[in-house]
Amino acid sequence: MKQRYFSTFQLILLALFSALVVVAKIALRTPLQLPGHSGIFWMTIIIVGAKVVPKAGAASIIGITSGLLASFLGLGDFGALNTFLSYAMVGVASDLILLLLGGDSENPVVAVIVGIFGHLGKFLTKWLFGIISGAPIGFVALGLLRAIVGYILFGAIGGVLGWVTLKALKRAGFFAYLAEKR
Amino acid sequence: MNQNKRILIAVALLLAIVGIVLGVDTLQRQKAAADMPPGSIPIFIDGKFVASFVPEDLNQLKNVSFVDAEEGKTQDGWLLRDVLLLYLGEDNLQTKTEIMVSSSSREKTQTLTWAEVEDQQNMVIFDLSGRGTLKLVSTIPGFDIRDAWIQDVDKIEITTP
Repeated sequence: MKQRYFSTFQLILLALFSALVVVAKIALRTPLQLPGHSGIFWMTIIIVGAKVVPKAGAASIIGITSGLLASFLGLGDFGALNTFLSYAMVGVASDLILLLLGGDSENPVVAVIVGIFGHLGKFLTKWLFGIISGAPIGFVALGLLRAIVGYILFGAIGGVLGWVTLKALKRAGFFAYLAEKR
Repeated sequence: MNQNKRILIAVALLLAIVGIVLGVDTLQRQKAAADMPPGSIPIFIDGKFVASFVPEDLNQLKNVSFVDAEEGKTQDGWLLRDVLLLYLGEDNLQTKTEIMVSSSSREKTQTLTWAEVEDQQNMVIFDLSGRGTLKLVSTIPGFDIRDAWIQDVDKIEITTP
């Protein structure tokens, strides 16, 4: 019988990470009034998810599934399509950069870069939507540079937290437990 | 290819993306500058252009915030009341004056009376969205949900019946 790329167990894990992204987006509030601050927990979850299911495409599945959930829950201020693509791009961009970097998110530098690129994927989606929809360009100037810096910074922090979480999970024997489950 | 080389490529890619975004933005701004003062939102009174709303001026205004009931997110920015008073003065605004805020890109419009806008309890404010455009938000019942809010505001029209 042809073996499936993701096992049922892995798909369940990815679905749980997707739900966690949406729950974190709804429940976790930071007092920072800065664009992109949600990247702190967002990228942490993506990086951990991509390591727990160490296959190319795992982060994309988390992004796409969380995007579907978020769209149906009506999250975001710019409509369902914008919400879906923003969430999905976080996963797709993370996967692409993980492919380039060789997939080793246990390396702190790699985790930070994945955090930055994944989160920047979300920013680029929103920015492109602004261009396509003809958003008033003058006001974009007020926040564009601040937004880019915010997305990069919080994505990087999310990357560090993801790496710390992976280390803690490894120390706790989580990956040994998963290996048995597989 | 070793890991260091891959990391260097990633950093170069990051710089290229940031450069492209800022470059495209600069080009767009230069194009927009030909039509109107850069970064401005026009304000019309009874169909006549009276002022354009420049982002830098917002820094003079008091910052206010509220937590929206729908998602529990903090919406912060500048009161529409303060913006209008900054450009127009109270003489142009009476209790029955209607203020229409619109977004051509979103095809959305919201009309409020000056009485509603002036009442600070209603929190009719311009919130700066994540991508730097202005979003008109409020706590007025019926205009306190995302679907009703005006994202990417690009015009303010004032009429007095």
